[in-house]
Amino acid sequence: MKRLQVPIEYKTLKNGLGVVIVPDPAAPVVTLGVYYKIGFRLEPQGRSGFAHLFEHMMFQGSENAAKMQHIKLINSSGGVLNGSTMYDVTNYYEAVPSNALERVLWLEADRMRALKVDDENLKNQRDVVKEEVRVNVMNQPYGGFPWLDMPPVAFRNWANSHNFYGDFVDLDAASLADVQSFFRTYYLPNNAVLLMLGDVTPEDGFAVAEKYFGGIPAGAPPPFADPTEPPQKEERRGHVEEKFGTLPAMAIGYVMPARRTPDWFAMAMLDQALHGGRAGRIHRELVLEKQVAVEADGGIDDIFGYNGPTQMSTRILHKPEYSSEQTLAAFDAVLRDVREKGIAANELEEIKVKWRSDYYSTLEGGRGGYMPRYGLMHLLACFTLFDKEPALVNSILDGFLSVTREDIQRVADKYLKPENRAIVFRTPVSKTVKEAA
Amino acid sequence: MATVVTAEYSNMVPALAPERAVTWPKRTKTRLANGMEVVLAESHSIPKFHGELYFRAGNALVSGRAPGLAEMTATVVRTGTAKRTSRQIEEDLRRLGADLGSSAGQDNSGISFAGLSEFAEPILELVNELARDAAFPEAEFERERRQKLEEVKLERTSPGFLAGERLRKVLFGAHPYGIVSPSEAQVAAYRREDLLETYREIYAPENALLLLVGDFEPAAMLKSIEKIFGNWQGKKPAAKESAVPPRPQGRRVYLVHNPGSVQTQILAGVHAITRKHPDWVRLGLTNSLYGGAFNSRLVMNIREDKGYTYSPRSGVSALRQHGYFTVSAAVRNDVVAASLTEMFYELDKLRSLPVPAAELADAQNYVAGIFSMGLATQDGLLSQLSTVELNELPADYLETYREKVRSITSGEMLSTARKYFDSPNMQIVVVGERAQIEEQARLFGPTEVFDAQGNKLE
Repeated sequence: MKRLQVPIEYKTLKNGLGVVIVPDPAAPVVTLGVYYKIGFRLEPQGRSGFAHLFEHMMFQGSENAAKMQHIKLINSSGGVLNGSTMYDVTNYYEAVPSNALERVLWLEADRMRALKVDDENLKNQRDVVKEEVRVNVMNQPYGGFPWLDMPPVAFRNWANSHNFYGDFVDLDAASLADVQSFFRTYYLPNNAVLLMLGDVTPEDGFAVAEKYFGGIPAGAPPPFADPTEPPQKEERRGHVEEKFGTLPAMAIGYVMPARRTPDWFAMAMLDQALHGGRAGRIHRELVLEKQVAVEADGGIDDIFGYNGPTQMSTRILHKPEYSSEQTLAAFDAVLRDVREKGIAANELEEIKVKWRSDYYSTLEGGRGGYMPRYGLMHLLACFTLFDKEPALVNSILDGFLSVTREDIQRVADKYLKPENRAIVFRTPVSKTVKEAA
Repeated sequence: MATVVTAEYSNMVPALAPERAVTWPKRTKTRLANGMEVVLAESHSIPKFHGELYFRAGNALVSGRAPGLAEMTATVVRTGTAKRTSRQIEEDLRRLGADLGSSAGQDNSGISFAGLSEFAEPILELVNELARDAAFPEAEFERERRQKLEEVKLERTSPGFLAGERLRKVLFGAHPYGIVSPSEAQVAAYRREDLLETYREIYAPENALLLLVGDFEPAAMLKSIEKIFGNWQGKKPAAKESAVPPRPQGRRVYLVHNPGSVQTQILAGVHAITRKHPDWVRLGLTNSLYGGAFNSRLVMNIREDKGYTYSPRSGVSALRQHGYFTVSAAVRNDVVAASLTEMFYELDKLRSLPVPAAELADAQNYVAGIFSMGLATQDGLLSQLSTVELNELPADYLETYREKVRSITSGEMLSTARKYFDSPNMQIVVVGERAQIEEQARLFGPTEVFDAQGNKLE
């Protein structure tokens, strides 16, 4: 068995900025990222969707690079760029020919030092974000299902339960003062990590990191609201109308154990037994064998990328001739079996091989064809911000590969129980209502 | 002025360092005695490999029997062979750390796969079995057919699908490319025998192209391939004449009424060229400057200046026989006319005024730069090799592409835009709530209205 080991160099600058470098000269391309330890989970109350709106504002101009220059400078260097807002982190990333390394660092440092945006930029991006929400959620069949539908049903702490894309009322209420205050609070070198992967040597990489970021002053450590959930004692259920889709749908989510605990490793393997594609028990039973469902998949979304309450969830679109309760009964039968009997020895061995293979692809894999090593960057960033230990990328696999059948049965029994779950039913509005609309 | 005025860059912006040469990996290219083409390239980024087994025929070839038949055939291919049941196939894949998909488009069918290098041989054996000995078990076929029935109902609720479907009908008419998906009745009428016949016709070594990229030694890999696929025999299917697509003249509007829409999907398109055409690289660069990049005129205008949309883009879709140019955006309902106006404004500007030298250089750097990103990952490289081989492009295509891009002049951009950004003949599809957008849509040409099922409405 060939084990992949990534060469990782890690330093922290005096202002608290973490710098992680993974040299690989194979292609003259470098992937860069800056991750900030703030996501939509801990955005301000009354400002749902703000962390994401703010991410858009980071492309609207900084001290020495006016609106559009950021994008223009990266594209015209032969590179691509984007940003994304997640539960607990927000990232800004680029893949460029390696001769553009310093240019990208200058740009990222410029916007870490000072944002320069105005009301017109904010109005423009508020409009853009509303169309983003419409195209991804409000105007699509099953838009936002279940990632936006599940939190308000499953969780009680506002941090975990609010609308992460944002209520339009809240987006409209966001002001320039909110933008600058959020920036001052969270966008600090001591709340961030810089990553460089590919055609860069550690020596050069650390030198240019110091050159461009070293002079950015640290700030007071940001306050973080407590995302802890009160203990759940009963199954929770909610209902959402499906405006476009033709099939009834449901999502079932089970709260996960805390990350990097023995139970967490075991749940990840159990998740593969349940959701591992067409070989997974849920798809096999519901779609291939009982043929109750048209789609049945799911899992632990971005398992390495969260730092607070989350779920393992299943998303099912089922045939209209089966009721919700019949479908749920078929799902429950799959879970009952694994809680009572655990999984087979060969099944666990197969899952481990597939997990290792998938893990390598995650590390190499891009976001689209043009963003190599996005996954490696993401894991390094999260392990640095959450654990101060990027080298976990090379060792974390061991925790998964040493899970035993007994571990699986223990966590199945402990976590896959009704009082640990929430269910959202997303039901098509009746045809007559739709046609009258 | 509609475009954003850009200031000069701050003089603090670091200059680009000297460029490191881009070196494409050596490809091992052979043809087995049975006619199967094989292309191998090393990439050692991870201890895995990625592959595609293509057959150079798809839905278009068998469209006379039923639309989507090659795709349905591909779907059922993975559900059983003479030696393995559906469940065994899925569990074997898991045991080998492998992913596999089987699908078909208009021009090709294929099995794509990836897995751990240590299991390369058993994975290729499974692929070989699916390509040669698929059993099309009756029960599996029946289940997949029923699934497909639900899927074809469901896709009619997606604005993007409805827009694409209508545009293809308008641009391609009776040509097989005019139909992107079968109807419910057509799916209901699929028979197992049709799939078997399609399988026998398309899945033949003389019609096959095997591409592998990854962590392996090419000479040893080639030996395994010969051992596994070498004794397979079969001829490629006879080519088929297709109807000549219409060339719609004059702008026309096709409104697809999708009740309850809170946004309008715009998609406009016109015939263009295939990848084999000598103008392809020039059109690619011109498209990139128009709406193919974040830093493009269309994005600057209707997103970053006006805030009409999140998702503006343009592109050239190249099928084997024909290509077409499209521009699209999902926009706020009250700015449908305004968005179309800006889309045409930017097209017409490129048809009228030469691109300034600095902007041309920026676009050239962009297109040349991102072309080499594919080098860094196995699937990125595989996708570039697929493009070259499926379109039978010259052997030095990868090596010379960037140079070609950088040699394009502003005058060539202008003539390319004049030729292919055929704005007077663009066909416009809008999908949304009729009452809110019909008046705006009618400003752009004679308008026909359809429902989501494709029926014409008065």
